[in-house]
Amino acid sequence: MAFFRWGHPWSPLGDLEREVDRFLRGMNLSIHGIRPGRQFPAINIYELEDEFLLTAEIPGTNPDELELTVETGLLTLKGVRNDVKGVPDEKFRRQERFRGTWQRSVSLPDRILEEKLHAEFNNGILLIHLPKAQQPEPRRIQIVDQQKTLSSVDSAESQTKKTTRNIEVFNDDQKSSSETT
Amino acid sequence: MNESLPQHNPEPQSELAAELAQERYVFTPPIDIYETEEGMVLHADLPGVSSDTLELQVQDNKLTLFGRVKPPIPEEAQLLHKEYEVGSFLRSFILSDQVDYDNISASMNHGVLKVVLPKAQRGEARRIPIATS
Repeated sequence: MAFFRWGHPWSPLGDLEREVDRFLRGMNLSIHGIRPGRQFPAINIYELEDEFLLTAEIPGTNPDELELTVETGLLTLKGVRNDVKGVPDEKFRRQERFRGTWQRSVSLPDRILEEKLHAEFNNGILLIHLPKAQQPEPRRIQIVDQQKTLSSVDSAESQTKKTTRNIEVFNDDQKSSSETT
Repeated sequence: MNESLPQHNPEPQSELAAELAQERYVFTPPIDIYETEEGMVLHADLPGVSSDTLELQVQDNKLTLFGRVKPPIPEEAQLLHKEYEVGSFLRSFILSDQVDYDNISASMNHGVLKVVLPKAQRGEARRIPIATS
């Protein structure tokens, strides 16, 4: 898969995560909702023919308070969630939802057109389109026939010279040996 | 916080049972409940759920929310990296009898459900008609 060719910068721990997932599922946990160490927001990444898609679950974030920046291959998502602002802690009977500011950065592969990134925000799900850069056509390197023949002739000549030289040396040796004896 | 573990609701409501059987993943959404002067307010994180795909019902003293999510991703897209599953949300609450059931109101805002549970007016004695035979 092409994705792995540029080093898979998105998920170095993907395999481990999947394993842990499988393990947790097998345990049939009765406590749901919070996964320690999980980065907020959770993101998924998909690939289409001409673009990558990144989705992030950020319910309750106001689009005005959502900031997306791209800088030299690093996509940063930043936001605030404060929809229960001003409610004193003692008034809460349950407090399970994430509160406050969050930030997450994702490194982009270099085959992305950074200037053409665009995003949609619907029902608390952020969808970022990451258009793929056109893959350059493989360039053909011309091989001139003349050079090819020349080089082959060259090597052939040198080979013949070498063999002749060898023969000469052999002859000399023979001669010298015959002389000494 | 989002959860990704699939959950099998032990006692799905009968009306929802058939629908739930088709769902691959059913999650318990995280909630906040806080008290106000007028009653109580409930927030639930339902990313991907719109007011059209949310069912909210009160049956006896049980408030049930069920939200369906349609992923914004074309089907032919290939998943490369996954941190969350796409599924439905289901959660039920037992309401106290101090809630004015007839005046519960709800709204969806950027994937968050807000339910306002007003306090029932106290002190209004209800007259019970007595039939004479």
